[in-house]
Amino acid sequence: MNELLNKLAVAIARGKVNQKSPFPPDMKGEFGADELTKQALEESVAPAAILNDGLMIGMKTVGDKFESGKAFIPDMLIAAKAMNVAMVHLKPFFDSGEVELKGDFILGTVAGDLHDIGKNIVRMVLTGNGWNVIDLGTDVKPEQFIETLKEYPNAVIGMSALLTTTMMQMETTTTAIKEVSPDTKIYIGGAPISQEFSDKIGADGYFPDPNKFAKHLASVV
Amino acid sequence: MITLNKNYKEKIKLRIEPIGKDLDVIKGTPLIDKLFEYGIEFPCGGKGLCGGCKVKLLSGDVKNHEQYKELNCKLGLDSDFRLACNSELIEDTTIEIPQLESLILADNTAFTFTPLVGFGIAIDIGTTTIVAQLVDLSSSQVLGVQTSRNPQSRFGSDIMSRILHGLTTAGSDELKKLIREETYSLIKLLLNSKDINLKKIVLVGNSVMHHLFCGLDVQPLSMFPFATTNNESIEYSPVELDWELSSEVKIIFVRPISSFIGSDIYAGIIASGMDKHTQLTALIDLGTNGEIVVGSSDRMVCASTAAGPAFEGATIHMGMSAMSGAISSVNNNDTRIDYHVIGNQDALGICGSGLIDAVSVFLQNGSVDAGGTIVDEKEKLRIGDRVFLTQKDVREFQLAKGALAAGLQILVDKLCKSLDDITHIFIAGGFGNFINLSNVTRLGMIEVDQSKITKLGNSALIGAKMLLFTDDYSLENSISKIEHISLDSDENFQDIFVNKMFFNNYISNDIADE
Repeated sequence: MNELLNKLAVAIARGKVNQKSPFPPDMKGEFGADELTKQALEESVAPAAILNDGLMIGMKTVGDKFESGKAFIPDMLIAAKAMNVAMVHLKPFFDSGEVELKGDFILGTVAGDLHDIGKNIVRMVLTGNGWNVIDLGTDVKPEQFIETLKEYPNAVIGMSALLTTTMMQMETTTTAIKEVSPDTKIYIGGAPISQEFSDKIGADGYFPDPNKFAKHLASVV
Repeated sequence: MITLNKNYKEKIKLRIEPIGKDLDVIKGTPLIDKLFEYGIEFPCGGKGLCGGCKVKLLSGDVKNHEQYKELNCKLGLDSDFRLACNSELIEDTTIEIPQLESLILADNTAFTFTPLVGFGIAIDIGTTTIVAQLVDLSSSQVLGVQTSRNPQSRFGSDIMSRILHGLTTAGSDELKKLIREETYSLIKLLLNSKDINLKKIVLVGNSVMHHLFCGLDVQPLSMFPFATTNNESIEYSPVELDWELSSEVKIIFVRPISSFIGSDIYAGIIASGMDKHTQLTALIDLGTNGEIVVGSSDRMVCASTAAGPAFEGATIHMGMSAMSGAISSVNNNDTRIDYHVIGNQDALGICGSGLIDAVSVFLQNGSVDAGGTIVDEKEKLRIGDRVFLTQKDVREFQLAKGALAAGLQILVDKLCKSLDDITHIFIAGGFGNFINLSNVTRLGMIEVDQSKITKLGNSALIGAKMLLFTDDYSLENSISKIEHISLDSDENFQDIFVNKMFFNNYISNDIADE
């Protein structure tokens, strides 16, 4: 595999955004995700390879650590920053269809809830895994999910809630979506959620961390 | 499973160490019921999730739910520990609980006032603690203080679990009854059967405490857009609250400014005098809801941050409240780490002030880098023989301090000012009294010069005392000047938050080392 892409994977996993970023301290002065992605494109590495062998490997490294309790929310947020700068360079190739994506994924925090950090981490992991993520933001009403689903009829839906008071909105939203599109897969996540709750409201599954979820999605699609 | 026969009430003995208290208990009583009155906290609301209510069995045994072994293992508890929230008393038992003392959050700060006749009581209804002061209205002298745990805490220590419980009529009635009775018992203790000329009782608290005390529907406070049902100051006569006091006593629960800004924060604002300053000042409450107010006499902006739980120990592996047994301060002393334990006993855990010091010490001695990573990943950060921090603890601290620093930054940005423009910062809340300010600024929790920071103590109680001397509880002049900002919906929040999680003051050290 390309040495440059290995470096990119490390930059993503460690959250090295660009050369001038002081974090992490032991990578001071080295190229970050920004420069490495640009360089790879300049050296005519295929965008799909940059995604698969660079970003995705980096995401998997930090995601595995998160899953095993060796990395935490801040590590994920820092990796997300590095990921976002790399994506800026790759976006034109996704938009043009040059890089084939795994599918569409509609994501949002349910109505009445404004928490978005957990949802943003899911977005990053799925984007890094080659999904076209349509992020509807926070306080997303059932109708907004349904409207967006019309535009992306084969999309998978992901919902987040962080409040015990708003998790009930997941049931309302799931019921509304399943009514118009029974085959659409709906996954839920957030601190107060459990698999039992997912079963109870008729969703297709709950995942406690984004890495496990990405693996599951890869196995069903 | 144990089934309770209501007609058969066999008594058993419960001994609580280290206070040596003996209780006769009806067999089958949940341990949670007996311990609550001794001030044991149930941070997760008695769901068996957090381990905060652990007790050690010295003799006898208790009946647990079947999953308790799994839970003990998950929480890393030894086999002789049980979670009180998940235990029934079935035989003579002796237990030991990790400490009981709570802090007195009273004050006797001077302020200007117009003398009145008689006496008043100022009460701060906190999410966790209730504090009441008896005040001589002719001199503003504090004659007595009583404090107790908010009895609603048994339904969860955070505000959301209170709201959840209050969503049903029965739950709402239960919470109302609990808080009114507890408040009345503090008033009785203050009056101590003395026949004094009590004129007025002023209560302050956050919006949820206001709604629950007044029996208002909390449903609109449960989700976005987080509205209040009624945001007026509500006046009661004693008989309306079932309080046996002279019918002439006026009781007022002061109105919230908005759904997010309760009268406790308003009281803090007037206590600090920030509503009188023409220059930019800030008030930071390091309590459960982590409120921040920034502004000057003409305009103030306010936000709440999720910083509280880490500083209260809830998300820290060996975290605990500032009680006996908690490491409350840590110092680097050349070759070794010195620390102080509240009550001068063996260390059982670490409280917020100790956590701040410890993180600072480990950054200084190079065990943790400026990004917050433990340099030797196999090592725990040992403070004493038994107490240590994990990588997750440092990350939790980073989340809390990132939220706090980002909150302050975003509020200052909203006013089109910079952090340097702040002339003074007031720290409110009981926890604030014990923190080492040089570490607070060095770690970047509050990014202003240390000389600009003043500890204010229980500013809500000071403000409530000041409110005893007014007659206008509409607060009309102030309300239009105070605006709430939702940090979650600020598009720059995540970016600023991540930047503020790092220990930027330690970067130069890293470079110097190379």
